Amino acid sequence: MSQQQHNVLILHLKSCRGRKVRVVREHYLRERVPCYSSVCQADCVNDGKVLPGDLTHYVVPDVGVVVDYLEILEDRELQGVVFTQTACQAVQHSKGRRQYNRLRNLLKDPRHDCVLFANEFQEYSYCPREKGESQEKWQTRCVYSAAVWYYNHLAGMMDVVMITEDQEAVAQYSSLNSGVYVISVQDYLQNFWPQLQAAHDLYGSISQALQEKESEGNEREFSEHLPAEVLEAGIKSGRYIQGTLNVNKHRAQTEAFITMEDLSNKNTDMSCGVLVYGDKNRNRAMQGDMVVVELLPKSEWRGKVTALTEGQGDEKSGEDESKPLPTGRVVGILQRHWRDYVVTFPPREGSQSQSRNSQRILAVPWDRRIPKIRISTQQADALQDHRVVVRIDSWESTSLYPNGHSVRVLGRAGELETEVQTILIENCIHVPPFSDAQVREDVCPSKTEPHIHVGQQLAERRDLRESHLVFSIDPKGCEDVDDTLSVRSLAGGKLLELGVHIADVTHFVTEGSLTDLEARTRATTYYLADRRYDMLPAVLSADLCSLLGGVDRYAMSVLWELDAHTLAVNKVWFGRTIIRSAYQLHYELAQAILNGEPTEVPELAQLGSEEKDTKLAQLTQALEMLTHVARHLRAQRDRGGALELEGVEVRAQLDEERNITALVPRQPLEVHETVAECMIYANHWVARKIQETFPHQALLRRHPPPRQEFFNLLVESAKARGFTIDTRSNKALADSLDQAVDPEDPLVNRLLRMMTTQAMSEALYFSTGTQSIDQYYHYGLALDRYTHFTSPIRRYADIVVHRLLTVAIAMEGEVGPVKALASNKELEEMAQHINKKNRAAKRAQKLSTELFQCLYFKERDPQTDQRCVADAVIYSIRDDGMLVFVPEYGVKGPVYLKNREGQVVAAGHDGSCEWQSGSVRRYPDHITTASSCGSSTFRLFDHITVRISVHSTHCHADRINLEVISNRPYHSTEPQQPRSQGRCQLVQEVVRLAEEAHQQAQEKAARRPKLSREEREFCQSKTPNLYSLLEEIREEALRDLNMVPQVCFLLYK
Amino acid sequence: MAGLELLSDQGYRLDGRKATELRKVQARMGVFAQADGSAYLEQGNTKALAVVYGPHEMRGSRSRTLHDRAVINCQYSMATFSTAERKRRPHGDRKSTEMSLHLKQTFEAAVMTQLYPRSQIDIYVKILQSDGGNYSVCVNAATLAVIDAGIPMRDYVCACTVGFVDETPLADLCYAEESGGVSSLALALLPRGGQIALLQMDARLHQDHLETLIEAAMTACKGVSKVLDEVVRQHLQEVSVLTGE
Repeated sequence: MSQQQHNVLILHLKSCRGRKVRVVREHYLRERVPCYSSVCQADCVNDGKVLPGDLTHYVVPDVGVVVDYLEILEDRELQGVVFTQTACQAVQHSKGRRQYNRLRNLLKDPRHDCVLFANEFQEYSYCPREKGESQEKWQTRCVYSAAVWYYNHLAGMMDVVMITEDQEAVAQYSSLNSGVYVISVQDYLQNFWPQLQAAHDLYGSISQALQEKESEGNEREFSEHLPAEVLEAGIKSGRYIQGTLNVNKHRAQTEAFITMEDLSNKNTDMSCGVLVYGDKNRNRAMQGDMVVVELLPKSEWRGKVTALTEGQGDEKSGEDESKPLPTGRVVGILQRHWRDYVVTFPPREGSQSQSRNSQRILAVPWDRRIPKIRISTQQADALQDHRVVVRIDSWESTSLYPNGHSVRVLGRAGELETEVQTILIENCIHVPPFSDAQVREDVCPSKTEPHIHVGQQLAERRDLRESHLVFSIDPKGCEDVDDTLSVRSLAGGKLLELGVHIADVTHFVTEGSLTDLEARTRATTYYLADRRYDMLPAVLSADLCSLLGGVDRYAMSVLWELDAHTLAVNKVWFGRTIIRSAYQLHYELAQAILNGEPTEVPELAQLGSEEKDTKLAQLTQALEMLTHVARHLRAQRDRGGALELEGVEVRAQLDEERNITALVPRQPLEVHETVAECMIYANHWVARKIQETFPHQALLRRHPPPRQEFFNLLVESAKARGFTIDTRSNKALADSLDQAVDPEDPLVNRLLRMMTTQAMSEALYFSTGTQSIDQYYHYGLALDRYTHFTSPIRRYADIVVHRLLTVAIAMEGEVGPVKALASNKELEEMAQHINKKNRAAKRAQKLSTELFQCLYFKERDPQTDQRCVADAVIYSIRDDGMLVFVPEYGVKGPVYLKNREGQVVAAGHDGSCEWQSGSVRRYPDHITTASSCGSSTFRLFDHITVRISVHSTHCHADRINLEVISNRPYHSTEPQQPRSQGRCQLVQEVVRLAEEAHQQAQEKAARRPKLSREEREFCQSKTPNLYSLLEEIREEALRDLNMVPQVCFLLYK
Repeated sequence: MAGLELLSDQGYRLDGRKATELRKVQARMGVFAQADGSAYLEQGNTKALAVVYGPHEMRGSRSRTLHDRAVINCQYSMATFSTAERKRRPHGDRKSTEMSLHLKQTFEAAVMTQLYPRSQIDIYVKILQSDGGNYSVCVNAATLAVIDAGIPMRDYVCACTVGFVDETPLADLCYAEESGGVSSLALALLPRGGQIALLQMDARLHQDHLETLIEAAMTACKGVSKVLDEVVRQHLQEVSVLTGE
């Protein structure tokens, strides 16, 4: 059909099911294959990424280089890289889909200067494989001929360098053509990029790892994995089971579980997963890998260990096992889930015991679930006690440990900066500072000139500056205001108009721009205990997009026309607007105005008293109307069964330099709920709008109902106190939780709510095309459709929703051509990505909180310091101890009643506890220790006194250690402020933490002045926005198992 | 497991074609002298031979005779050497029977059967080498054979398969693509009027995509018809040169 096509037939001999089969394939060649170079003279159709013309050379890596050294090529400094199709196919073949996708993403990413050349479809660069030619030789020849083609195609204007690890190829090809150089990777790096130290180091460590791999012994430690066809056939026939491997954090050596994706069609005893016991059975699989397991005969099945062994008493496990679980062994790995790992190099004496000459070090990963990684390096001495990022290369069946190579050094273990970076890496969070190009790209004229050119946009936007009284209510000192509200009455009081105006981020962040790409990769703003990493550059988040008071800003608005009496919705309007926020209120001020207290509104300070009064009256009226509407909305949702989990919110108090000086409890004001309710309402209506317009490609958020078996712990615990919890529906659950209140101990209700939170499933973003309509339901909010629309400054999902809404509005107006939307598949990929990043953000935040908790207690001596002794509540009973919650510090952890020597805790008459030999017995709702001094009992929800110390380990994160010192509640000698509902403790704890964090940082800075500069570099913002941080915590509380119960309404999120 | 990437990010298919490009079509008419009409057609690596007898009197059971038009009798078969593993039964299996039926339906729609009442037209098609798109290659070959036999048709019948990968329709699938789990659709078209003679699809496909897929199939069929037209004209020229002298 097409004229420039030429038909070639090639013959393949391919064995399938053992038999030789002849496969005949066609191969079409064409003359015009785009070269993607801007110096192209031949008018190639180069759409998409183009290599710049101002480089000295283009580099064409050989197949072997792409397969083994892709990491080096990923360096953004390396420019003008031409990947050949031959190399890409080789990666797909030899390294699997994951590595291949990595390469594909690299090619798609506009920040990397590299392109793919389809050399095998180009008539002149294609060379058919000759008889008897080995595959490697042929591939090298193909790549070389592609390099030559490039040189000729660009008419010799650009030199082409082919890099290869094959010395024969260097000898064979280097002198054939004048403009095409063939050199080795090392020579290339040394000659062209002498200043790129990171690439040199990486090259060294990878090549060393490759060498070591060759010289490996052949003693077999593990059984071989089965070939892919056998696995596939086995899975289909039901002989093998496919699933994801999850290693038990506390028994990483022995226990791992396989979780299956589709639980529906499997029989029920598989529903809790398959146990893989011991590392021989695990057969080199690692955390997160997609594996295939074979079930062992029933006689070899084992139970799960429920004792609180902390990796110390493995021998114990035999005695009290629960019912045997299906147990299996790994026979093959479908997909590795290797990422970057942080490891700690052992101190010298540790390394000497290993073979000294080979320079191989066994480094211990920070994540306990990961086995030790063997690394060959010359820098072993220099890196002692340092945390280093490594990547795993391989794990042969002859080796006990996987082989890896080091990538980057983070710093000395135990230092704050190192630890924070460790947390980021372990959660796969990459937050490089925003590049110059991104900042340049932003619409950021000089400060003097107004950013917003109203004139141009006026035609497309509705002007609300004069007609509407718009105001924002945020915490004090908030910089990135993404939501504002307005309300007014229409038609002589018969109608009400409620408006929610959200910062129009998509106006500034165009799809596909560098800022957009970076924001998409980050997906959310990351809040750590002491710093935050913004999703958008500060120019946008704190200025251009932020809906500040008194200035013109672009907004995306939702306006509802409500009936003034019934509050039924008459009409909804969505659209782009221009607003000028009249008042930038904070919560306390708004509440004070509502309560009619005398207040000073800063915006009115300059006005005369009469004018002031009228304006104030106007504002008061608006706030009252808003409250009225919000109450109605809330009641409506409550009838539907919205859950409310008790929570605490804290607010950061900032001084002039915008440092946190204290955290004060946010009084649970009604106005908080009012604002939240309006936001939920806006989110809900936007979700409806986009779902109706795009039934298959709208981004929504669903919160699936929790699985009933997760409620077992909650129901059992409540029973111990005589409460019944009805978990049949969200409404029943909400009601029964309201009733489960112990008048003497408010903590009981809190703990129950905490357990409810644990049972909840995770709320997720999804594309509407992937789920059926009944799956859209949001369990926590009791809404049939929900999405995120109101915080585009700090969540990427909102940006996506804004774009969808914009297109939806455009489609309404005219039927004309509308910009192509992301397809269902792309959107679902995006949703998965955002979900993943959100999860990582939560985890990082939790880890950083724990890090600071540990830092706090590390400074104190547990024996003498009063602050290390605290009151704790038992919330779960285990075989040899119990899990407790320390409300004062928000710490949860295990308390052992039996130690390694077999001694148990015995309580004296005054309640003080000591270790004595004896035994422990466990009952459903209490645990008893018996010793020579008699027996003592610990019941569920009992208050005890614990001593908090820090268990420091060299290679992992420090851990809080709790030790029971009395079985009576702890009464502090210090005068305590009245503890209403136990909230203050938590607040205190956060105050302490924040202060401590600050102090810590300052102390560190004082000791090493050098660090402070780095710190400033890493802290993108000196003003951690605690408001947003706490909002994140609220969401976090929904799902995290060990999280402090700083739950608020789980709604809104 | 790792499925083949049927359409690369650059828009190339496994064999180097773009999404809308057809395989190379080569054809010859009048390959056998004994039959009334015959044709040989290659579409990439799929090769088919079609032979037409008739119109002639009804043979076999006379009860099938139609009084107002001709009966079309089709037989599809595959050579034992046409696939990578040798076939045991060249025709008569379930698949071939179905294919014969489809061919019959296609040509009943295209041949002007009402001109030949009480008679019969036989169309025999044999696949010599199979590399995907067997049905469409058979239809295209048979069209040429019918034309060669001088039997009037409303228009060329051109057929093509299309598959749907990554939201993109792929024209004229080869075997590797067909077996790669693509939902494919076969369409026979009378290109001038744009009437569809036969449409067949066994796979699952979202109905939103059906229209684009049919659209793509029709474009592909029109492409085929151009090639066939050229072949016919070429053949006529050759023949007229021979007879004209």
